Amino acid sequence: MTAFLTFHWGWLTGALLLGLAMGWISVVQHGEGLSKKTAQVIALVLVIVVGVAVSRVVPGRPGYWLDLGLVMFAAYLIGCAIGSALRDRLVARQIAAGRIPVRSDPPKSAS
Amino acid sequence: MRGLFRWSRKWWPGLIPLAVLWCLAAWYDTVPLEQELAASTAAALKSDVLDKTRIAVAGRDVTFSADAFSEEGRRSALTSVEGVPGVRLVNDNTRLVPEAKPYVWTAQRDVVRVTLSGSTPLPAIKARLQEAAKAALNGVEVVDHTGFARGAPARFDAAVLLLIEQVARLKEGKVTLSDKSVSLAGMARELGGREAIWASLRNLPEGYSVAANDIAAPPYVFQANKDPVGGTLTLNGHVPDNKVHAALVEAAQRKFFGEKVTDNLKASIGAPKGFADAVTRALGALSRLSTGSLEVADREVKLSGDALFDGAANQIRQSLAKDLPEGWKAKAEISVKPAAAPVDASVCQRLFSEVLGQGHIRFESGSATINPDSAGLLDRLAEIALRCPAAAIEIVGHTDGDGDAAANQALSEARAKAVADYLVKAGLPADRFKTSGQGSSVPVADNGTEEGKAKNRRIDFLVR
Repeated sequence: MTAFLTFHWGWLTGALLLGLAMGWISVVQHGEGLSKKTAQVIALVLVIVVGVAVSRVVPGRPGYWLDLGLVMFAAYLIGCAIGSALRDRLVARQIAAGRIPVRSDPPKSAS
Repeated sequence: MRGLFRWSRKWWPGLIPLAVLWCLAAWYDTVPLEQELAASTAAALKSDVLDKTRIAVAGRDVTFSADAFSEEGRRSALTSVEGVPGVRLVNDNTRLVPEAKPYVWTAQRDVVRVTLSGSTPLPAIKARLQEAAKAALNGVEVVDHTGFARGAPARFDAAVLLLIEQVARLKEGKVTLSDKSVSLAGMARELGGREAIWASLRNLPEGYSVAANDIAAPPYVFQANKDPVGGTLTLNGHVPDNKVHAALVEAAQRKFFGEKVTDNLKASIGAPKGFADAVTRALGALSRLSTGSLEVADREVKLSGDALFDGAANQIRQSLAKDLPEGWKAKAEISVKPAAAPVDASVCQRLFSEVLGQGHIRFESGSATINPDSAGLLDRLAEIALRCPAAAIEIVGHTDGDGDAAANQALSEARAKAVADYLVKAGLPADRFKTSGQGSSVPVADNGTEEGKAKNRRIDFLVR
């Protein structure tokens, strides 16, 4: 795995930075995002795909592309998590300093 | 943590550029990654001894094909490939090289090349044998068609190295090693080569044996060529030893009184029995030809050329076969030289004097028996006599001053008569010859020296 990460470090850094940006944005982004059910479906699909990758069922180049995609996705997720955490800390600090008002969650729709 | 779950529901838009990034990474990195893995795999296999190694990389999966020389070697190579960093899966297409039974190695030599075929156990041994063959065969093309097989007998390489040395001693032939059994067939390159091969085969490693040795020796060749234009007799080929060499050259000088002897003979073992005797007699026959060549190959004598007259041709044909030692074969292709133009008596006399000035008729010591070495000279005298058919010829014998006068007189007369008889047998009419003896009464040189005595012992031809 070390050799794999070393060989693709550029692309993985790109995925990480993309994740950082997305995570940074997501904290202050309005809206609910994906529904819980959709998120669960995606998580399930992800588990299956990881299972396929780990079991090395897919041969040759497609197998390599699958591994590459999953590792880039993992880098993206890490980036997102770090970006979101950093932005959240920044927002919390600004609220504490009274520079921005506390934002209440938008009321849930009647439907 | 709850916040993380909440935020993560909003991370999905980034998946679109991520997918683009993924596609680009796959597009640009697949081939370089495969090349790097192939290079790393090849480097990892450097210390493994394999044949027909093929490495094919698809993504991170390596398809590895090779022939290994042992099960341990095969497993070790497989482990080496599996240990290459970055390799995900190894498709194992390795196998062991086939086992040969019987284990055969051959070397075939023809005029221009040596072809090695059969089996060798390892690449290092194959390379060593090839190098040894090139070194031993010095300049001859070596074509190596050997393949790899397991199951070589112990000390295979030592045995084959010895056999390669024997191949170098062959002109053409085949050497085969089947398990521990050696077979040889063909022709040795030089005289004595067959014996040398026999001697070397005693050094085969323990357990190896010679099943068949059908190496033939090259023919033992002796050649002589008489060239009347250049006035030379050229001797080529082999003689058994220096003693026979000296004897043959001396015999040639006695028999060919008018020719310069060029000696290109080499001493070599392997002469057939009776060689010296047969060659001496064959040289005597050649000396009677005007122009001709003699070839002795093993026990076959081939004489060809032109005799000086009909009678001589018949005598040579008959005597050659009869005179040779038992077991020898003779083949005479004798034609007759066109008769020279007739001349008058004075020219005949001059010609007799010229020929007798070059050489003298030899007799057995103290007797009137003509030495066979003088046959060529007598044929020349007969040919001259044939050119002046109308002239009467007196043959006069002389001796040196040794011994008593009466005996010398009788001997000189007998010798003159012996010469006349020879000429009559050659086909000349007897009534043309008159013989007489002068004993030691008409010396031409000092009887006090050996040289002078030799000159005084002579036969004169006087044309009337």
